[in-house]
Amino acid sequence: MFEMLAYDFMQRSLLAAATVGAVCSVIGVFVVLRGLAFIGAGTAHAAFAGVALAYLVGLPPLPLAIVFGLATVWVTGVMEEQGRMKLDVSIGILYTATMALAILFIGLMKGYNAEVYGYLFGSVLSVTPDELRVILVLSMVVLGVLLTFSKELYFIAFDQEMAEASGVPARRIFYLLLTLVALTVVVSLKTVGAILVFAMILIPASTAYQLTHSLSHMTAYAVVIGVACAVGGVLLSYGWDLPSGPAIVLLATTIFFLSVLLSPKRRRRVQTA
Amino acid sequence: MAKTIIRFDHATFGFSDVIALQDISLDITEGEFVGVIGPNGSGKTTLCRAVLGLMQPMGGSLQIFDCACEELRCHHRARIGYLPQKGALDRNFPITVLETVMMGRYGALGLFNRPSKRDRDIALEALSHVGMEDRLDSALGHLSGGQQQRVFIARALAQQPDVLLLDEPTTGIDITTQHSVLDLIRHLHRDLKLTILLITHDINMIRSSVDRLVLLKTRLYAAGPPEEVLRPDVLRQVYGKDLVITEKDLILVEDYHHHH
Ligand SMILES: Nc1ncnc2c1ncn2[C@@H]1O[C@H](COP(=O)(O)OP(=O)(O)OP(=O)(O)O)[C@@H](O)[C@H]1O
Ligand SMILES: [Mg+2]
Repeated sequence: MFEMLAYDFMQRSLLAAATVGAVCSVIGVFVVLRGLAFIGAGTAHAAFAGVALAYLVGLPPLPLAIVFGLATVWVTGVMEEQGRMKLDVSIGILYTATMALAILFIGLMKGYNAEVYGYLFGSVLSVTPDELRVILVLSMVVLGVLLTFSKELYFIAFDQEMAEASGVPARRIFYLLLTLVALTVVVSLKTVGAILVFAMILIPASTAYQLTHSLSHMTAYAVVIGVACAVGGVLLSYGWDLPSGPAIVLLATTIFFLSVLLSPKRRRRVQTA
Repeated sequence: MAKTIIRFDHATFGFSDVIALQDISLDITEGEFVGVIGPNGSGKTTLCRAVLGLMQPMGGSLQIFDCACEELRCHHRARIGYLPQKGALDRNFPITVLETVMMGRYGALGLFNRPSKRDRDIALEALSHVGMEDRLDSALGHLSGGQQQRVFIARALAQQPDVLLLDEPTTGIDITTQHSVLDLIRHLHRDLKLTILLITHDINMIRSSVDRLVLLKTRLYAAGPPEEVLRPDVLRQVYGKDLVITEKDLILVEDYHHHH
């Protein structure tokens, strides 16, 4: 079992998975609490469109993924603020539009490009040392910013108008959160893939949500669950020769359903009913 | 002569399709206790949000602490404690009572500072003011509506504000707590010299405590000592019904006939 840890690529993938698991689950807490779940999905597809365009025109994929991701979250943020349309509708439109762009870019490419599909489905076992370095640096930046502004982020997740009213620069913090969501998605693209990154953001946080009534506990639980699932998923993937993205996500999903069954919140409701 | 800290000067506020407050001129001086009354939709909540700088004036101006309301900065807002009108609360939101009250400290702390032991002590003291000090670690969502209201009052107090805006603080809480909340507000006004703006429909409850009553219905109909505002000819313009005012009570004429 442990001899596989001797391989360089295995060490890299475990480190990448653990990092992505941590950063996704921390940002996920704020995404779940602030009700931005859909934005995560929309951003992932936009970022993937960026990757596809990069391969089409021969540019490095990461910067374009960041540009596409940021553009999507900011547009969504403006839409939410103006509140003209229900958010799920506007995101639904953006989400399909960016997916259409991605398909268009792929269609314009000559021949089959396996690397592009790596970003769609995730391939943590093929993370290169350079990619790992980028993942580590970006994750540290995202986690550092989240930690620095955690009290403001909690406040806007709880009640943005109240936060604004009591002297927190709530709008700016909201856009900061959106920016961090986009960066997190980009960081995770290579590891879990555009389709599944959404699950990595959502599942650990919503599992933790089932388990506690305290904000600080929720974050701690989410990180433990996120890292454990990511690492466990990579081990499963290697051991049984499964694709890594689905292994991570399905492991997390299983734990989510267990938590729903065992949730103290749920039990209380049954008792009082 | 006390200093004016909130000055409405022919101010108009509204939303894209409605005017909520029109041509309001009103000065509130430091240390004053002002009650705001008016029927539903008369612009009372809008008045609070305007003072917090959450709305742009469509006409006229509003100054708070000598600062135009549209330029109100975070450090100004941190000096204004606000109890919002009771809205829907997500009962599943994972937050404890103490975590909620600590949020009152965040504005004053500023962006890069962590809450210290002192902030915790302030939050604990605020909780003991509203009699919730033994529920620190309870989930906010597990409290009753009235208990949640008390926690939100504690959050406003934890800000250690100079000005307190209370939007219907006693709505939905039991009569004993209503009185203790009002006692607390009187104490904050008298002993800590806070400026207080209190919105309520319960005129009888506050008429003996406030320095001034403000009567709103989109426009400002009256502002003055309670005995000047609570007159049938003044109230009729706003409430549209005859009201009988006795030594202690204020009764709609219809109800009056009904019960006697
Ligand atoms: N977010 C909003 N968008 C559009 N119009 C609004 C909004 N909030 C309030 N209004 C309108 O502004 C007017 C004043 O509303 P406001 O909430 O200030 O009344 P209020 O005096 O607080 O009423 P109540 O006693 O019911 O709390 C109403 O006509 C209302 O319809
Ligand atoms: Mg109101």
